[in-house]
Amino acid sequence: MGFIQDVLTSFVAIMPVTLAQSLILAFVVLGIMIPFRMLNFPDLTSEGAFPLGGCVCGVLLAAGVSPLTCIVVAFAAGFAAGCCTAFIHLRFRIHTLLAGILMMTMLYSINLRIMGKSNLSVFGSPTVFDWVPFARPGFPASKIVVAGLLALIAFAALYMFFRTEKGTAVRAVGANPDMAEAQGINVWAATIGGVGLASAFSASSGALMVQSQGFADVNMGLGILINGLAALMIGEAVVGKQTVSRQLLAPFAGAIIYYQLVSFCLAAGMPPPDLKLATGLFVLAMLALPSLKRSRGPAPAREAIRE
Amino acid sequence: MLDIRSARKVFYKGQADEKVALDGLSLSLATGEFGIVIGSNGAGKSSMLNAISGALGLDSGKILINGADVTAMPVHKRATRLARVFQDPMRGTAASMTVAENMLLADLRSQKRTLRQGLNATRLASYKERLSILGLGLENRLDTRVDLLSGGQRQSLSLIMAVGGSPDLLLLDEHTAALDPRTAEIVMQATVRAVNALKLTTLMVTHNMQHAVDYGSRVIMLDAGRVLLEVTGEEKARVTVIDLIGHFSIKTDRMLLAS
Repeated sequence: MGFIQDVLTSFVAIMPVTLAQSLILAFVVLGIMIPFRMLNFPDLTSEGAFPLGGCVCGVLLAAGVSPLTCIVVAFAAGFAAGCCTAFIHLRFRIHTLLAGILMMTMLYSINLRIMGKSNLSVFGSPTVFDWVPFARPGFPASKIVVAGLLALIAFAALYMFFRTEKGTAVRAVGANPDMAEAQGINVWAATIGGVGLASAFSASSGALMVQSQGFADVNMGLGILINGLAALMIGEAVVGKQTVSRQLLAPFAGAIIYYQLVSFCLAAGMPPPDLKLATGLFVLAMLALPSLKRSRGPAPAREAIRE
Repeated sequence: MLDIRSARKVFYKGQADEKVALDGLSLSLATGEFGIVIGSNGAGKSSMLNAISGALGLDSGKILINGADVTAMPVHKRATRLARVFQDPMRGTAASMTVAENMLLADLRSQKRTLRQGLNATRLASYKERLSILGLGLENRLDTRVDLLSGGQRQSLSLIMAVGGSPDLLLLDEHTAALDPRTAEIVMQATVRAVNALKLTTLMVTHNMQHAVDYGSRVIMLDAGRVLLEVTGEEKARVTVIDLIGHFSIKTDRMLLAS
């Protein structure tokens, strides 16, 4: 009984911190979802774009640039990285996953070059979180408010965009590129722009993370992709993906639930090194579920015979 | 209207399995003409259609639509002038999007897409009206995802999408071949009605000799990447399935069955 109480106490104690963190990381999940679901372009760039945003933000913060400008520049840098991945795929007909791996590998060196060293402390620099007045030490209300607000803006903007004439065209590129092209849609422009935007979100997340934790590190992206994917799977399982609004909500809902689950596991005494294995197994299970259902069930066929 | 001037395309050039798909093919189609393209498998029918739509780049030769040279134009730019219905119902529609969204995509084929709301009440009403012509009940399923429709319904939707906005040129690539006979007939009738009503310049590839006899103002037979035979005017009115089959150098089972 005492054990469960301990677990719950420590879980509840870090709940707000986890929430703040998950709202920031929700942008990476968004950056994974857009290419994967909207453009049918499984993309790994976020693993490099996230630290890219962090490194850019860290260097600029250290140079005394305003925290909001840092995020904007990180967004732009991420956009450029995503555009490169999409271009590599389109121009050289390299598989999307391989293009993403190439890009994230190259970004590692670029990130090191940007920072000049493997990590950089920006503790004490002004952050976007300082602008919220009612912050209390120990309770990250300002982070929750700022990240939550940004998430809300991103969700609303994307929701409106995907309902416009241009947005519908972008979705068509993901649904059926041949058909999209035959309907006068520029597949290159839509793919490059879409993947670029996704990486821009991942980079913004990195920039927010640096401002939140007070340091930038070239290895901060390690494993971010698998975490993001797991969050996306949970989100889609919970809110669904049938409509544009649900599909857009899934990354945010998924990130919030997933990181709470992780923090619960840690509170329950799971050794942190095992976390990646657990996450990987979880993603595998979620991806395998449809095929397991299919192979196990000749049920529909039997039903048809009964009719 | 459509002018193909000595188009040439060779696949696997310089390799052992080199294949001449288009061998100096020339063809012109006047505005409002309904051309039926026949020919055995590998005669170059699909290559010709792909060359016209831009999906296939030519080694040499020119393609003109409405007097404008489109030879170097990419597919999405040519789409402002031409519409196409594919043989496979899956290829012509976006499966994960709704009927209305698919209609919207086709509706804006020749326009610049803006950041205004895509589906509005005016558009939905017009899509409803246009789909009701088919009599398949699609007008009441505007919010249904296309992958929930049957092959025939999807192909009918493709057709309505293609003829909307009166394209300069309509390309039909065996668009009833994958359908059951009854649905094929519905789609074919709808095609003929639309082509006649809108006076569309049309090029239809078919393996169905009866269709070649019954419809269109001209029959174009391809063989080995060039035009083997053209039947127009009076002669077209009198031509029979037997006449057409007589011209095939290789008679495939499929053609005999179709007759």
